Amino acid sequence: MRTRLPPAPRPALPAVPAHLRALLLVLAAVVALFVSPLARAMDIRTVDLTSTAVGAAPADDAQWQSFDLPLRWTSRPGEPLRAVALRMRIPLEAPADQAWALLLSHASTGGRIFVNGRMIGEIQSADAATEVRWRRPHLLAIDPSLLAAGENTILLQTAYRSGVHVLAGVEAGPLAEVRGAYDLQYLASSILPWVGGTLAACFAMIFGLLWLRRHDATIALVTLASGFWVLRSAFFLIETVPAGARLWLDALFYVANGGFAVVMTLVLLRLAARGSTRAAWIAALYAALGPLLLLVTSGHAAPHLDNLWLPGLIGMVVIGLAYALVSPVRKHESLQVVVVTAMTVAIAAAGYDYGVAQGWLPDATMLALHWAGPLLLIGLATPVVDRFVGILGEAEGARNDLESRVREREQMLKRNYERLREGERMQATAAERQRIMQDMHDGLGTQLVSSLMLVERDALTQAQVAQVLRESIDDMRLAIDALAQGNSDLLAALGNLRYRMEPRFRATGIELIWDAREMPEELNVNPDHVLPILRIVQESLTNALKHSGARAVSVSLQVKQVGDDTPELQIRVTDNGKGIANERVGGRGLLNMRSRANKVGGTLTLESVPGTGTRVKFVYALSEYHTGLTRTSTQMGLNTEAIIERFREGGG
Amino acid sequence: MSSEMTTVLIVEDEPEFRMRFKQIVESEPTLELVGVAASKREAQELIDRTKFDVMLIDLGLPDGNGTDLIRQVSAKRPDVDIMVVTVFGDEQHVVSAIEAGATGYILKDSTAADVVSCIRLLRAGGSPVSPVVARSVLRAIRNRMGGAGGNTRPGGASPENSPLSSRETEILQLLAKGMSFNEIGEILGISPHTVTAHIKKIYRKLAVHSRGEAVYEATQMGLLRGTS
Repeated sequence: MRTRLPPAPRPALPAVPAHLRALLLVLAAVVALFVSPLARAMDIRTVDLTSTAVGAAPADDAQWQSFDLPLRWTSRPGEPLRAVALRMRIPLEAPADQAWALLLSHASTGGRIFVNGRMIGEIQSADAATEVRWRRPHLLAIDPSLLAAGENTILLQTAYRSGVHVLAGVEAGPLAEVRGAYDLQYLASSILPWVGGTLAACFAMIFGLLWLRRHDATIALVTLASGFWVLRSAFFLIETVPAGARLWLDALFYVANGGFAVVMTLVLLRLAARGSTRAAWIAALYAALGPLLLLVTSGHAAPHLDNLWLPGLIGMVVIGLAYALVSPVRKHESLQVVVVTAMTVAIAAAGYDYGVAQGWLPDATMLALHWAGPLLLIGLATPVVDRFVGILGEAEGARNDLESRVREREQMLKRNYERLREGERMQATAAERQRIMQDMHDGLGTQLVSSLMLVERDALTQAQVAQVLRESIDDMRLAIDALAQGNSDLLAALGNLRYRMEPRFRATGIELIWDAREMPEELNVNPDHVLPILRIVQESLTNALKHSGARAVSVSLQVKQVGDDTPELQIRVTDNGKGIANERVGGRGLLNMRSRANKVGGTLTLESVPGTGTRVKFVYALSEYHTGLTRTSTQMGLNTEAIIERFREGGG
Repeated sequence: MSSEMTTVLIVEDEPEFRMRFKQIVESEPTLELVGVAASKREAQELIDRTKFDVMLIDLGLPDGNGTDLIRQVSAKRPDVDIMVVTVFGDEQHVVSAIEAGATGYILKDSTAADVVSCIRLLRAGGSPVSPVVARSVLRAIRNRMGGAGGNTRPGGASPENSPLSSRETEILQLLAKGMSFNEIGEILGISPHTVTAHIKKIYRKLAVHSRGEAVYEATQMGLLRGTS
């Protein structure tokens, strides 16, 4: 008779983590399902048994022996096919008036069922070719007309070979009432192993694939445990086998249990930080002992193994659990609690199942490991999943961190770049200022000071003063042209010089021919070089205007590529005047022109044929400043390293 | 208004130059002086109530920049020729004046003949230009086309977008190389007068364009949100 178990007590753990609480809730629900009272119609408690010939009805004079249900009987290995008949009685006060059914709970040998001498059904039983071991319940309809008021007889004719055989219970009653009990028993004996086996198969695949990618011990253990659980579930789900395969099926059961126990022990030892190769070998050897002995003895060792080896497996896991419990919990506290709790529950379930198998506990339809095992697998997988999730989080955090650092670095680079640009700009401005100062000093300043001294000495006529002032203004305009925005275009600056000098040539009746047709649209040169070049040309033109007595002056501008070298600018100022006498070739004006040409890295040549004219030729290499419009606002040669060094020193 | 006489307004704050320009205009029979202003305020009054053909204007006035006046006159009286008086004829002054609407400029130390011939050139529909100014105008127009600015290849400044005709661009390019009106006329087979007429048209285009650009920029800055 079933007793109602108290509801699962809720363990008073301090600060139970959410996933542990969920696990406990599931546990409680499963337990509650199994202890719920079953609708009982008519529970048959005793059964009469007699031996028969295989396939035959019991003899009329058969000796019947009475037994209480559940009934367990064993047959030693190697014994031939035997048959028994089991007789049960149903007393009825009135004839049945509705559909009846007979529920056989865990009738492991099957057989033919008769009601009042009429067969109502047959469940496959052992025969010459087949071996059966039914775990599922069987529900057989009874025609109400078969049942009469008073005593009704139910007869079960069954056959069996070696092993432990069971008839856990027989119930008869209206179909509606028996149905519920049948469903529940079917769930416990068939659906649960299917679910557990499927879950374990999924785990085995997922974690197995994971292990292929990453050889991690925990993942390997979860995979192995799942694999063994698949085997174990298969054992429970295979209910009919060919007669010769029985031994192998039993060996499968031993392998599955042994393997699973070894894995559990290793998991627990690892939790306790006591895992060692030696411990693993000892556990594996012990686990291998069972199936080996079974096979070697052709099954004869089975009863001894069941009595000694199986509890030994449980004991092995208990030792592991003990280690895990006494070891100080170090890291992932909650996860360890999950694993240890699930393990404890599973050990209890294994103990319970063992008790049932041994007949110490009454009900054989409720194998606790069917649900405790899958829960244990989930418990084992939790740390792996948790770690995986943790690693994902870390990776995400690392990526975010990296991104923000890259952003920061970008900002810093940008700031540095801006400061560098600012530095360049400042240096360019400083250079520009320097250039203007130098220019004012050498040009206009000197001119004005020397003129002032002449005026003070009364050495100049008014016309000469006007002339000096005009030259000063010209010089200033020249400087301004050279400084014009985008001031590296030599061509426009030269053009402006021509434009400004044109009226004076016109006034003296000298023709000024300007040939710049072959020139590119712009000619960008080092801004420092614009003014010196302008001065050279201005000086040449002024000389031609003042001293040559020429009728025409021609300026020809050309850019020429000489060999593979950089292109060069050639400026020729030619007049058809009287030429320069040799003694004047070394004059001050020419010396100035030469020194300016040297300053910009150009060469100046003077050809003069007295009576024919003079030609000044200036050649300037267009090294880094190309013709065309590619120009930048500052083209100063910058000492970038020095600027960076300055930033460093300034705490940049 | 007599058909031959050109009426001139002078805006110049320095007495020496004011006197000089006054003398030049008065001594030239074809020119008639209709007013002289020494400040922006005086000029404003004259502009409002006087008719004139040519305005000579100095940009640096004691009570403000002459550019505003140029913009005002060129918008109200497009037939008036505005001539900027400058010490150096440097690009900064000249180009900003052209953008405001001026069509000519003259140096402060120009001879009387230069001033008169420059006014005649303007009235005849031409404009003077120096190579540096020509190059600046070219650049200004390219930059404001929304193109790649100074990085555009010579002559390849997306002609379909440019407000300048190819002939105008060609003339500016030759001017920027230092060629004279006569030489350009010879090269292009046109009269020097046509060359200067082209330049005046270019100036007008730059002024119109810079006005449009000013509106665009103001819109961008949110100053003219209502009109955008």
